[in-house]
Amino acid sequence: MSTLHVLSHSPFGDDRLSSCLRLIGSADALLLCGDAVYALQPDSAPFFALQDRTIKVFVLDEDAQARAIDIPDWAEAVDYPAFVELSIHHDKVNSWL
Amino acid sequence: MKFAIALFSAAHAPSSRRALLFAQAALAGGHQIVRLFFYQDGVFNASDAVVTPQDELDLPKQWRAFISEKQLDGVVCIAAALRRGVLNEEEARRYQRNAASVSAPWELSGLGQLHDAVQDADRLICFGGA
Amino acid sequence: MPKSVLIISRQSPWSGPGAREALDIVLAGGAFDLPIGLLFLDDGVLQLAAGQNAKALQQKDLSANLQALPMFGVEELFYCAESANARGLGKRSLDEAEPLSAEHITALIDRYDQVITL
Repeated sequence: MSTLHVLSHSPFGDDRLSSCLRLIGSADALLLCGDAVYALQPDSAPFFALQDRTIKVFVLDEDAQARAIDIPDWAEAVDYPAFVELSIHHDKVNSWL
Repeated sequence: MKFAIALFSAAHAPSSRRALLFAQAALAGGHQIVRLFFYQDGVFNASDAVVTPQDELDLPKQWRAFISEKQLDGVVCIAAALRRGVLNEEEARRYQRNAASVSAPWELSGLGQLHDAVQDADRLICFGGA
Repeated sequence: MPKSVLIISRQSPWSGPGAREALDIVLAGGAFDLPIGLLFLDDGVLQLAAGQNAKALQQKDLSANLQALPMFGVEELFYCAESANARGLGKRSLDEAEPLSAEHITALIDRYDQVITL
């Protein structure tokens, strides 16, 4: 069983990302969208926290583009059709509202 | 694949646009949407009273067009809607308010409709917050 | 077999209708005899603090609704031990809720068919 965790809040001043990283399983994946893509700000604490983990990280491409965030080679950009496919590939989707 | 999609944020929240684009992509990919359920501030997406500046994305209008065109089941949680002043004619009459702002294709119904959709669908996808 | 749903409640009880509206999803599921679980996480564990006084804020008492959960057929009640410790949560209401470590929460999410985090 695997879960796609979806985050959309900025990781700065919010504990969703850190809570999610505590609970995420080894077969799970993380999709960053909205302000959660700020977790990929280079040299930031969330960037390193994600880089150090072996979980698969996806990023909603439009949100990265809008924020001028470069997607590192350990993360993968997705569009909406790919987001739909990701939600099917995993058994459930846990959106951290 | 059958999706139940639930939206928890107001029309002006980025997550509401994300929900719409996900729903459109799901249908375009040949999947089915068993129900769109609007809860918490998501109920504002169903309000005809939202006036969006002309040069901005009019999400309530887009939801309405999408639901009508694709003949989807767009259900607004009645308790969440009443609390936020999002009423249809029937509820406006019942509570004697001159404030009806929800009409077809939207329906007001209970939280049971969310559970019912989850039981019917293969996946529940929630959108909300930021 | 009906699908099971885990509700993860992350809002403090006094930050707006969020905590109550999360609970309403749980109660509605219980009313339909669905297999529903409830996990309190992050600020959500503060809903369990004993001795809260809703009247001080002219609010309805959420604790009373929580106490009624087992009567509504919702018996799978959990809270994140780490969130509770981090917030110095002492005396708790809702004795039925079971503390879980992060590893056990991972396993809990795995066990349910669908999950809603509010």
